[in-house]
Amino acid sequence: MIKFSNVSLIYPHSTKTIIEGLTFSIQEGEMVLVMGETGSGKTSLLRLINGLVPHHTGGILAGDISVDGISTREVKPGSLAHIVGIVGQNPLNGFVTDIVEEELAFGMEALNFPHDVMRKRVEEVLDLLGLNAVRHRSIATLSGGEQQRVAIGAALVMHPKVLVLDEPTSALDPIAAEEVLSLLHRLVHDLSVTVVIAEHRLERVIQFVDRIIYIEGNGETAIGPAEEVLKTAQLVPPIIRLARALNLSEVGTSVREVRRLTEDIRSQTFETTEIMPAETSVVIEVNELTINYGDQRALKGVSTKIHAGEIVAVMGRNGAGKSSLLHAIVGSQLPTKGQVRVHQKDPALLKGADRRRSIGYVPQEPSDLLYAQSVRAECAQADRDNEITEGSTFAFLSRLVPHISQETHPNDLSEGQRLALVLSIVLSGNPELLVLDEPTRGLDYQAKNLFALALKEYASTFNRPVLLATHDVELVAELAHRVLFLAEGDIVADGSTLDVLLSSPAFAPQVAKVMSPKPWLTVSDVVKAMAQ
Amino acid sequence: MKRSLHPLTMWIWALLLIAAVVLADSAWVALSAIGVATALVIARRDNSPWGGSYWIALRIGAVILVIRAVVGILIGVPIPGRTIFTVPIIDLPSWMPGIRLGGAVTLERLSSSLHEGLIIATVIALFGAATSLTSPHKVLRTLPFFIYEIGITLVIATSLFPQLAHSARRIRLAQQLRGHEKISWRGLALPLLEESLSRSLQLAAAMDSRGFGVSRKRSRYRPEKWQMSDSAIVAITMALSSALVLA
Repeated sequence: MIKFSNVSLIYPHSTKTIIEGLTFSIQEGEMVLVMGETGSGKTSLLRLINGLVPHHTGGILAGDISVDGISTREVKPGSLAHIVGIVGQNPLNGFVTDIVEEELAFGMEALNFPHDVMRKRVEEVLDLLGLNAVRHRSIATLSGGEQQRVAIGAALVMHPKVLVLDEPTSALDPIAAEEVLSLLHRLVHDLSVTVVIAEHRLERVIQFVDRIIYIEGNGETAIGPAEEVLKTAQLVPPIIRLARALNLSEVGTSVREVRRLTEDIRSQTFETTEIMPAETSVVIEVNELTINYGDQRALKGVSTKIHAGEIVAVMGRNGAGKSSLLHAIVGSQLPTKGQVRVHQKDPALLKGADRRRSIGYVPQEPSDLLYAQSVRAECAQADRDNEITEGSTFAFLSRLVPHISQETHPNDLSEGQRLALVLSIVLSGNPELLVLDEPTRGLDYQAKNLFALALKEYASTFNRPVLLATHDVELVAELAHRVLFLAEGDIVADGSTLDVLLSSPAFAPQVAKVMSPKPWLTVSDVVKAMAQ
Repeated sequence: MKRSLHPLTMWIWALLLIAAVVLADSAWVALSAIGVATALVIARRDNSPWGGSYWIALRIGAVILVIRAVVGILIGVPIPGRTIFTVPIIDLPSWMPGIRLGGAVTLERLSSSLHEGLIIATVIALFGAATSLTSPHKVLRTLPFFIYEIGITLVIATSLFPQLAHSARRIRLAQQLRGHEKISWRGLALPLLEESLSRSLQLAAAMDSRGFGVSRKRSRYRPEKWQMSDSAIVAITMALSSALVLA
């Protein structure tokens, strides 16, 4: 179906070859995962399939790519619209119309399909994706999972033979992600659609994929069946790390397989030593907090206390009120009712240097904070702002990510490097509390590890609290002491990470699923318990 | 769901009012046009990202009004009348005859510049109202497109403006939380420009890969019908504008 023969790609004004001498072919009805570090060229590879690269973006392409027998060199991406459906990283940026139905019909309108065919196919796709209830709604009002399904539907109405998806679950909560992935699985099995998918959160996808294309960043690529590639790969999900740590003879990609391989370990008994966290002083106090947007209720009388040295994860479905809670705590959203106190002060009144010393905030789009022309200028600004010795911000940054050039423009950094830069700037004010809104979107495992270490160090050395909203179950398992679980504006669970994550099958991390009923969340938990 | 009009109706409405305001050349007509537009935008507001364009247009209009007034006071031909105050005259070289900097500011001179400023501000506000009241995406789809590249360019351009408002709010908030209350234009403009560009490119790429502009003809899933209410609005506006101009 898709054939790459000796394909190399290089962008103009760049010295780095994105892809070199890549040859592979993908059969009809295969599901293939493209993985690699952030910025390694996954998106470029996906866009090569329908010719967006190089027709749309520029770049020098050598070799030949053909899809269903058509060479992408000869035709523009639009002429492949009925063969290749492509769903971009952020579906919201790719929507052309406002209403669900119209969005589904857009591609067919552009290709001048007759009216009766359009009506039939729109109905078909609405049923297939379970979108019938929202067909007349404005796309902007849908949840993240629904938007993602609309984007997939808009590609499916063209009856494409190939579906290409760029990180389709990165903005979704675990349940919505599960919905989208099982939908793809069904398309592959029932309709024999060929699916090519790029994803960082391997734990979500590997059980579904047949083969993996691993871009190793140095121009090399490895292609093969999932188990084989993962055996030696650097970036691997927890389930593979578990198999490596336990020296299992095989690696498995699904919970079921690895459970079979670890039966004897689970049957042993281990002593569990529970460490009770010491009571520390209260830093954040949220009291009967209610927030309304117009007649919409985002939070309904939420109360909680957050203590010094605690790392607290705020979880819940998209639209459960996570961001509203965070915004109220940093003082950018005034409560409709109730109050928030940070060290007995109202966070909304903090200004300038006082604010930098009290609350460090990393927004959902870290680049919102950046505007200087180079990493050097950005760090110097932070040094000046906080009256600290010149170069300390950069020194901290190089500890997080070594080998970063001072002259780089912040836009040219990878997602992980940019997050590290923003984190260094925010921490240069030595804030008494750190708040992060979905910080790990688009980060690979290595970047995520570095980031988790930095947060842990901050919380433990200064005995200060960290509050983060996230969908990333594995990160929470590694990092957080406590989880606040929100649903429809209420706190529905508040307890230790272990209790909250284990009590909900959808939010349990991979290791916990494999090792259930043993109370272990991460690979290191397992290793520690076995060593005793 | 509010009853939807044909996407072009509000644009025709705005253009007719603009013609009336310019031709009637009266401050009262201009002020009432702004009043009507404001009432309409408030009555038909929704949470769409372009819904705020009207308020931005109003602000731009106000800035123009002020600039026009200041320029009117400082530069220009003296208009005789009641003097309010006098600005010292600055001598200009002899090769710039007919232009005077400073001098007596008469009531007539001030009001005529304010008047001109108001007309320009109204025209901008009415354009803003039309953008606020209809989705730019819908308008675009009703336009015939002759050339593929122009179609793409139009999409990029129209999607840029409304998103700017939303992103600007978000970025300003983030920087306030970094403790930078006074945000330089660079602090806002650079992230804003970067984001709008990348968003527009993504939109264009999405349209490109979905076959936009491949076929010369295009069919309609749900044709935008020109309805009685559209004709009524256009007829009433037309009657009103001609009455204003002729009066």
